[in-house]
Amino acid sequence: MSAPRDPGTPGLAPTASGTSPTAHPDAPPSAPATAPPTSTAPWRRLDPRTLLVHCGWMGAPLASLALTALATGGRITTGAWITLAAIAASFAVVTTLGLIRWARTEFRVTADTLEVRSGLLNRRLRSVPLRRIRTVDLTASPLHRLLGVTVLRAGTAGSGDGGSELSLEALTVAEADRLRAELLARAEAEGAADDPVVARISWRWLRYAPLTFWVVGGVFVVAGSVYRALDGMGIEPWKLGFVQRAFAEFGASALWLTVPAALLVVLALGSVGAIALYVENWWHYSLEWTDARSLRVRRGLFTTRSVTIEGTRLRGVLLREPLLLRAGGGALVRAVAGGLGNREENRKRSGLLPPAPRTEALRVASGALRAAFPEAEPLTGHPRAALRRRRTRGLLFVVVPGAAVLAGLGVAFTPVLLHCAWIYAAVTTPVVWWLARDAYRSLGHGIRGAYLVARSGTFSRDTLALQRSAIAAWTFSTSPFTRRSGLVTLTAAVAAGEDGYRVRDLAAEAAPGFAAAVTPGLLDEFLVHRQG
Amino acid sequence: MPEPATPLLRPPRHRVDPRARRWWTLQALLTLSGPMLLIALVMAVLSILFFPGALPWLGPLLLVVLVVPAVGYLLVMPRWRYAVHAWELGGRAVYAAGGWFWQKRRIAPLSRVQTVDTVRGPLQRRYGLATVTVTTASTAGDIKIAGLSDADAEELSRRIGEAAQDVPGDAA
Repeated sequence: MSAPRDPGTPGLAPTASGTSPTAHPDAPPSAPATAPPTSTAPWRRLDPRTLLVHCGWMGAPLASLALTALATGGRITTGAWITLAAIAASFAVVTTLGLIRWARTEFRVTADTLEVRSGLLNRRLRSVPLRRIRTVDLTASPLHRLLGVTVLRAGTAGSGDGGSELSLEALTVAEADRLRAELLARAEAEGAADDPVVARISWRWLRYAPLTFWVVGGVFVVAGSVYRALDGMGIEPWKLGFVQRAFAEFGASALWLTVPAALLVVLALGSVGAIALYVENWWHYSLEWTDARSLRVRRGLFTTRSVTIEGTRLRGVLLREPLLLRAGGGALVRAVAGGLGNREENRKRSGLLPPAPRTEALRVASGALRAAFPEAEPLTGHPRAALRRRRTRGLLFVVVPGAAVLAGLGVAFTPVLLHCAWIYAAVTTPVVWWLARDAYRSLGHGIRGAYLVARSGTFSRDTLALQRSAIAAWTFSTSPFTRRSGLVTLTAAVAAGEDGYRVRDLAAEAAPGFAAAVTPGLLDEFLVHRQG
Repeated sequence: MPEPATPLLRPPRHRVDPRARRWWTLQALLTLSGPMLLIALVMAVLSILFFPGALPWLGPLLLVVLVVPAVGYLLVMPRWRYAVHAWELGGRAVYAAGGWFWQKRRIAPLSRVQTVDTVRGPLQRRYGLATVTVTTASTAGDIKIAGLSDADAEELSRRIGEAAQDVPGDAA
């Protein structure tokens, strides 16, 4: 990007690592008041403890080996020796590579760029203008925390290709905090907000933790992982005596009692797991404006996470109400912000509020927007065709296939399944009808001041408030079915969050007018006015 | 409608090059229709050679599952696409329509344009065609205009490049 600079130029003040002294209360007073020439900022190294972190991968195989040794009564088999040798060899290779990488990776902050150079043979210099840095994220895994280091990631604006991120692994916590301040110095305070703290954790919110769909699924995922781990250690659970006994007794006793009991156990386990996850993810949670322009989320028990979003990169807020959580009167809040990484990373980092009471969620959403979350007034509804579409889809994808399969099997094998078929149809049809109705009632869109507001969904009712000025493109999507029923789905492209946000199933004749009203002037030359 | 006039989105002004139909046909033949027809042929031949008894039910099955969809796709898709695909460079925005069964019309302001790529694939080169991709900071805002003639593509990418420079940008 930029020409490599001479790194050998002696620095003026060795401890003044940054070059904007105003951002550094800890900068020595001898630092010059004006920004020094950019090439004089000294190169800095990562923390050597990084090397230890890289050895962390050995934990799992070593532990598994130890367990195997325990299970076999201390006898180490030939296979185990081979594994041990492989681990030792990998350790040597990884440590050598890590040492080289550590020795050859340097970074510095100049007046307007963050520069990282790395590589053994191909020296690579990457420099990112500070003004393009959108978020700074400090993440420390338990291992990192044990060693007192943390990983710093600086996310920049980019075309969502994932290649627009610089990560420094790893720095001491103090160093990382200082570097974050330097990187975000551009967003220097113009005056503190009235109340910088938007929200803190309240453990009464824990009651919302089990209200997710993953309660039951999580139990099976964990069971599967445990099974695989045991299998990897050479233990076959199905051959253990007590498992077989329990299984035999389970089958022999009264099923009407044991099946619900087993379900209850799964639910209880799932709830405990959900609460544990909630605690691990949201321990010490706080959301605050660190200065007038940076919003910071801090959370985490074992893995601590601190995500700082520069205010100008915060393009909107998403209020999510998954079905169960909504039934319990709760909601959660996510940020729509640029530079949080790819879809998966964005999902992990964009959380502004865990499942919490809806009023709290609205308050936090408003706090993040620094304007009332535009939800109070009713939104413009969508045409009835959207309701028909939802019903048809439900019937076509849920009721008909299930009933058809059951009926087919019934005709082929046993008439009992024929009864199952009509019972299935009779039960699922009202459920589908209700869900379709609910999904239709969720649909809505409108313009509230500087924000586009759109709501949709039943399994997760999402209300989006998106800055109108952030919209980078409009897409009108149709299929033959929606064209016939006069509907169109409008997608607003933004360089933030999930990139595209949809307003589903608008009336086809209302959509262009709405899009034109949201972004005045953009569509005008492509519109024709029909006398109506 | 309460308003006297409802604004409607008109299709973009310019159609893509007519040769695009042949390109899409060839593409369909190579990717979907060709393999499907080939599988049907092989199965029919195998059936005639080794299981002549299966032909009475296998024949119609192959016809319905493989041959008719393959031929239908080959005949319908290129024409349908040609009717839909269109593009226009306005004073403030690029506007493109694409797709066939599922259709998309996308409008991106020139001020957000980051790069303009012109790509000519091996099949496209045969027909003297090109695809122009206009990228913005958001992946949901990238515009792809496929099936332009070489000259049009060059002209378009040049004009978009110029226009994007004239309009004060906030692409970063």
